[in-house]
Amino acid sequence: MTSQNNIKNLVCPFCSIHCDDISVTTTNDQYKVHQKNTICAKKIESYNLNNKSLVMPMIGKKVVKLSEALKQISNLIEGHNETLILNHGVELAGLRSILNFASQRNCIIDHVGSKFLYQNIGVVQRTGYMATSLTETKNRADTIIVFGNEIFNKTPRLIDKVLVPKDSLCAKGKKEIILVGDFSEKIVKTIKGKCNITNIKLDLNLINDFLKLLAANDLKSMKGLKKSELTKIKNILDKSKYLVATWTASDFIKTLNPNKIIASICKHIVDLNVSSRAACMPISGVLADATSSQALTWMTGFPSRIKHIDGTFKHDRNAFDSQKLIDEKNVDVVIHVSTINSEKLQINKNITNIVLGHPNTSFTSTPDIFIPVGIPGIDYEGIMFRTDNVVSVALKNIRDIKLPSAQNILDNLA
Amino acid sequence: MITQLKSGNIYDPHNKICNLKNDVFIQDGKIIDKKDVKSKVDKVINCSDKIIMPGAIDLHTHIGGGKVNIARLMLEEFHNEKEPGYDSSAIIAPSTLKTGLKYIEMGYTTCLEPALLPINARQAHAEMSDIPFIDKGGYALLGNDDYFLDLLRKKSSQSTINDYVAFILSATQSLGIKVVNPGGINAFKFNQRALNVDEKSKYYGITPREIVEKLTRAIYDLGVPHPLHVHCSNLGIPGNFLSTIETIKAANGLPIHLTHIQFQSYGNNGDKGFSSAAVEISNYLNKIENLTCDVGQIMFGQTVTMSGDSMSQYRNHHHAHPNKWMCMDIECDAGCGVVPFKYKDKSFVNALQWAIGLEIFLLAEDPWKVFLTTDHPNGAPFTSYPHLIKLLMDKTFRNDILSQLPKEILNHTILHTLSREYTLNEIAIMTRSAPAKILGLKEKGNLSAGSDADITVYDRNKKDIEEMFTHPSLVIKDGKVVVENGKIKEYVWGKTHTVKPEYDRSIEKDLGKFFEKYHTMKLDNYILSDDEMNRLIGSPVYVNDCKYKRKQ
Repeated sequence: MTSQNNIKNLVCPFCSIHCDDISVTTTNDQYKVHQKNTICAKKIESYNLNNKSLVMPMIGKKVVKLSEALKQISNLIEGHNETLILNHGVELAGLRSILNFASQRNCIIDHVGSKFLYQNIGVVQRTGYMATSLTETKNRADTIIVFGNEIFNKTPRLIDKVLVPKDSLCAKGKKEIILVGDFSEKIVKTIKGKCNITNIKLDLNLINDFLKLLAANDLKSMKGLKKSELTKIKNILDKSKYLVATWTASDFIKTLNPNKIIASICKHIVDLNVSSRAACMPISGVLADATSSQALTWMTGFPSRIKHIDGTFKHDRNAFDSQKLIDEKNVDVVIHVSTINSEKLQINKNITNIVLGHPNTSFTSTPDIFIPVGIPGIDYEGIMFRTDNVVSVALKNIRDIKLPSAQNILDNLA
Repeated sequence: MITQLKSGNIYDPHNKICNLKNDVFIQDGKIIDKKDVKSKVDKVINCSDKIIMPGAIDLHTHIGGGKVNIARLMLEEFHNEKEPGYDSSAIIAPSTLKTGLKYIEMGYTTCLEPALLPINARQAHAEMSDIPFIDKGGYALLGNDDYFLDLLRKKSSQSTINDYVAFILSATQSLGIKVVNPGGINAFKFNQRALNVDEKSKYYGITPREIVEKLTRAIYDLGVPHPLHVHCSNLGIPGNFLSTIETIKAANGLPIHLTHIQFQSYGNNGDKGFSSAAVEISNYLNKIENLTCDVGQIMFGQTVTMSGDSMSQYRNHHHAHPNKWMCMDIECDAGCGVVPFKYKDKSFVNALQWAIGLEIFLLAEDPWKVFLTTDHPNGAPFTSYPHLIKLLMDKTFRNDILSQLPKEILNHTILHTLSREYTLNEIAIMTRSAPAKILGLKEKGNLSAGSDADITVYDRNKKDIEEMFTHPSLVIKDGKVVVENGKIKEYVWGKTHTVKPEYDRSIEKDLGKFFEKYHTMKLDNYILSDDEMNRLIGSPVYVNDCKYKRKQ
């Protein structure tokens, strides 16, 4: 018998904007997104069960009962020296359970996106910083400068929800959008018409020089940028009453000095506030990075890279860097917790890999143990934090495929 | 199970009991009357050399929400991994675990977060639900949000404003309403750098006085027990006592609570342009019936200032120590600023700030109107409360410290002339009975039958009052012994206190449209239900009564 259910205002768990205006129809276990926004719809629907979905626990390639998988995990952890819990995206309750489990079993915790997190928080930990949030940007910003194109791949709806929204409380005229980097024609076309757009195809390595020139009194040309283009940008910035700079740290990973780029953007923004208003709005990763850093910070004082030792813990952002620990074989068991990741999950050789993942998780090779878990916001309720860290959303449950949550599994193992 | 605290010296100001030898009986988490002890007493605790008080209540402490997390993140170098026993976060920005442990060890059983941004309420409650032991609650911030300012600009009726205030209390699961730098945070977003009480904001054309008038009226009309909690205009600016007095007047005689009033009691006399106006402020405090305050005492040493007042915090960022800071504009709702700061005893200004706070305490004629706070962590971490109590109870100790401070401050303070010493009963009033009364927490801050069995037992043989208040012999939360001789005996988890005055639900239609057009989330997702608080956030809700049925 077919059961069909229309759900309005689904809260999307799959990127850091967490839109809550998605309409879906569920038919038995399958759901279909109504919106025309095909980029998001396709991604959300890709988590539907299909004939390749892994809905049963597995030890290697053998399907086993959940109790058997749990027992095996327990034995593995007991028999090994160092266990890393690597967070690929989980909601608040799952994170609380990760911390509880780690404290019971003396584990190390890291998030896969920590290196990008540390690039952004480095500014907060070293110097001054002016920040803003999505709704402020939507309503207050008359000028937005976007550094790097990755931001629109990660959070496609940033454009219609925040950068060029239909309604804005205070920013009544056409917004000025300055795109710095190599943006596709499609992106430019999407934004164009709704605002005044200035596209500078600047090598991201040169952002620091670009901002220094803009801050100087006498403008001159720089590599790839004429003096007239710089003058135009400076005029836009000078007229701005509320400027927002936005980027995503992963975009700078291939540059020579990502930290320096972020620091120079932040300093430029701070300096503008002497006489005007301006603020930064970095966009976090899409693997519940903000949820992880926020909750771990309040529970421990540190956003990531923590090692539990008999009721206390240590933090060391270098020593407990998951990639380093894996590369240098300083851990022998890795528990991957991956409830919303759509990328292929890296299975590390010569290390025992346990995956608590959603049924459509794909791997570079077969993990030692796999336990399918539900997706927060699809299979169970939960709380996740938005990219601007100040807003968190309540995720709903829209289907019942009888899978446990990551929290259930971790609590059972603890 | 019945527990008997036998033959303790009881301080219960709510019931006018002062140093009376008696027993306290506990059953099922509540205090019971001796005549209701129908079965065998299961556990007798000898309190013959002990002082018994209700559990202490901190009505203004920044323990949850985005700004606290920014401070934790920013000040990583102050976290000390060598501290044995439990976690390593710094006491100026402690983790949730450490917050609970440190409070309960001092005998505090209820704490209120005073700057709960409505849009950030889900986080603040989730954070606070991870604080063990204590009951908690928050005051929702209003008065800088664009929706409210637009209501004022449109000359909306008081009744509509009352509906909005009641909606916010309910939707954010709050116990009260706070306004921070009325209108100033919003004005800063439009590049205004100051906003005096009768100055109109450039964009909305609204004055701070109008905001305070409307909000005090709304709280009064709705019967919310806690008066409007006000962080005044011009925080920290020399001469600001005048705007503090104007803010008091803006309440038009209705109840109003001025928070961290020490930071609002500055004159601008003398060659340094900075002096105490504690006498002027205290005169108002003593003569106006409906006015209460908490002090926000500073202590010397490193701390971190955190506030919704982004206008002030941006202005103060030049004083950051260490030299780093952050300000944020938040969701057309409010703002925040986090600036680390070190109060130095050799600094004229800091020494005078210390003296001003103490002057306000000592000049207050009625301890039911003044509350003991350091505005944790803005003036100092809450762990300095026992030291502060000693400063109030021991004038020799106080004067010894005063004598070590810069001599010039004596020209601008009368602290050295004040010989008052607080009594234990007065300390019990200002840390227990009075906060419970002003918050409307009927089952807290007293030892009446039916009240929550949140009890602190002190060793009266301890000669040093600071030591006595630092290490109670016994702390009981909801009837369970959670601390005994400084050792944690059992972990318990508190509840969230709220108040839910009635309102016309049609306000949600208008708000829904506003959210649809201008916000980046829907109204439905903004509202926190009791069910979500209990199941997802992790803290059950306790709804306290309003004082009376809504007036309009």
